[in-house]
Amino acid sequence: MKWPALQTFRPPALLFLSSFALLAPLREALSEESRLAVIRTPADFTLTMQDGKAFRLADLRGKVVVVSFIFTTCNGTCPATTQRMSQLSRKLVGDHLTDKVHLLSITLDPARDKPTALREYMRLYEVDAKHWTFLTGSQKQIDKVLSDWGMWVRPGARGQLDHPSRVFLLDVRGRVREIYNLDFFRPKWVLDDVRLLLKEAAE
Amino acid sequence: MTAIRYRYALLSAVPVLVVGLLGVALAPAETCLSPFVKHLDRPEKYLYVFCVDADAKDNDFLAVIDVDANSSTYGKLLHQLDLGCAGNETHHFGFTDDRTHIWGCSLFSNRVFIIDVAGDPARPKLVKTFDSSAKTGLTGPHSPYALPGRMLISYLGGKDGGLPAGLAEYDNDGTFIRKFAFPKDAPYGYDVAINPKLNRMVTSSFTPPPNYRKPLARMDLKQFGDKLLVWDFRARKVLATLKTGLAPLECRWSLKENANHGYCNCALENTIWIWEGADENRYTARKLCDTGKLPADLSQSPDGRFVFVSCFVSDEIQQWDVSDLKNPRLVSTAKPGVQPNMLHLTGDGKRMYVTNSLLSTMDRSEDFWVRLLRVSPDGMKIDPKFKVDLTKFKTGPARGHDMLLY
Repeated sequence: MKWPALQTFRPPALLFLSSFALLAPLREALSEESRLAVIRTPADFTLTMQDGKAFRLADLRGKVVVVSFIFTTCNGTCPATTQRMSQLSRKLVGDHLTDKVHLLSITLDPARDKPTALREYMRLYEVDAKHWTFLTGSQKQIDKVLSDWGMWVRPGARGQLDHPSRVFLLDVRGRVREIYNLDFFRPKWVLDDVRLLLKEAAE
Repeated sequence: MTAIRYRYALLSAVPVLVVGLLGVALAPAETCLSPFVKHLDRPEKYLYVFCVDADAKDNDFLAVIDVDANSSTYGKLLHQLDLGCAGNETHHFGFTDDRTHIWGCSLFSNRVFIIDVAGDPARPKLVKTFDSSAKTGLTGPHSPYALPGRMLISYLGGKDGGLPAGLAEYDNDGTFIRKFAFPKDAPYGYDVAINPKLNRMVTSSFTPPPNYRKPLARMDLKQFGDKLLVWDFRARKVLATLKTGLAPLECRWSLKENANHGYCNCALENTIWIWEGADENRYTARKLCDTGKLPADLSQSPDGRFVFVSCFVSDEIQQWDVSDLKNPRLVSTAKPGVQPNMLHLTGDGKRMYVTNSLLSTMDRSEDFWVRLLRVSPDGMKIDPKFKVDLTKFKTGPARGHDMLLY
């Protein structure tokens, strides 16, 4: 279905509305009940990495993926989200899981977050680029991804961007199995969920 | 980036990070909402009231009331959103986590209405209506409750209005994800409340559709629940079944810092009960206080110091100081009119909007309204300037039930 709701807020090339019309959700039943239900299967995308190279989501099939949506000049929830991602990243290193789990952070503000800005942001958070990739793209590309993932962005107060704070957990088949807000995005809990998905994939 | 620029950027990021973290922790709460719902960052401008056409002949609707204190039309009806069908018993509301859409549940028709309020808050649009029984087999959808990127609905009944009732989860677009039936020894459903910090969910129990569709005098009191369930939320597993008074309804986790307890109004025992966690998995419940007759809705102050309860039959709203959980103290009462029911307290805890319809089978007055109470630690005062009359619509009187603010 379409969500025409937020289009009236739309400034040129900034806002994209959450729409699941293009989502084509595939709700494949699990062979057995899991506490992590299959919520939806977002469409594949190709965006640009922090080093300027192309990145395709489908290339991560076979890995568990954690996806955040942030922008580098955010002074709202994004710094906390990225800090938690950083904590999770360190736990993955400590638990030798970096070859099985990948982190993605997709910008909500591609006009400002060019690869250079992403690289500077990554330095602030000491990001290990081997298992944590930052992504940008054209406004049209980002709008499409936001739409497919049920996300949106619109102008907020004091030059900031308003957006939902959600982090997505994908299983090895690219299906969304959990959506966290900051209350639930605790590295230990996410790691538990990651291990469950890896165990499920191994069975 | 040079080393100096890098150090500068790092230093400048620290306050941003701190502000970000504090902003998350200190955001004011509208205390009755799911904790996952995005908070308003300004005083409210619009009040949405879910309205039942009183004689069930015309379509039910959502009323938009101007509550912008600086507006020339303050306290006036701005818009009616026709829901396109009648006889729904439109009842409880819930925002999606991003506060862009309202889900409204209907106790008689099982319909769920998804309403866009972000596009034009003054003129919401109905974007989807679906039969929430079709894929779940559950009936009597009651509380729509936001999860991150999804909605959870608690149901009052199971298949064909029987038991057990249960819970169902949906994508924000209304696509069904999964459901859970309540256990056989506690099969009734009503409300749901989640405490994310504790990873705990509490559900309560009322009565299934065939019983609540009868007039109050003919309802079978043996068909009401008297239990709360405490769940491990992430696992969606019941940890404890707690006996309470009859018909435990609204569930509110305490908003006190680090609290591991919450409150529930037992409508047919005229009491408020408290559930308390001694550790991660051990929960108990006990009566907290006696209230007026038929406590119908429950709210609390943002700091968790006060609990407010509407007493539908004794026509009053009570404000309880629960600072001392062993000795709760009745601070004030207000009588805004006959059969007060739903309470909606603003994020700053200063304004409480009140409606006065419970169910078409339980209402005893046809004087329907929305009132405003000014709330402080010293008590509640009725605002004499704010009274929205819900009896003068073109289609006649309407029973206003749940409310949300934007």
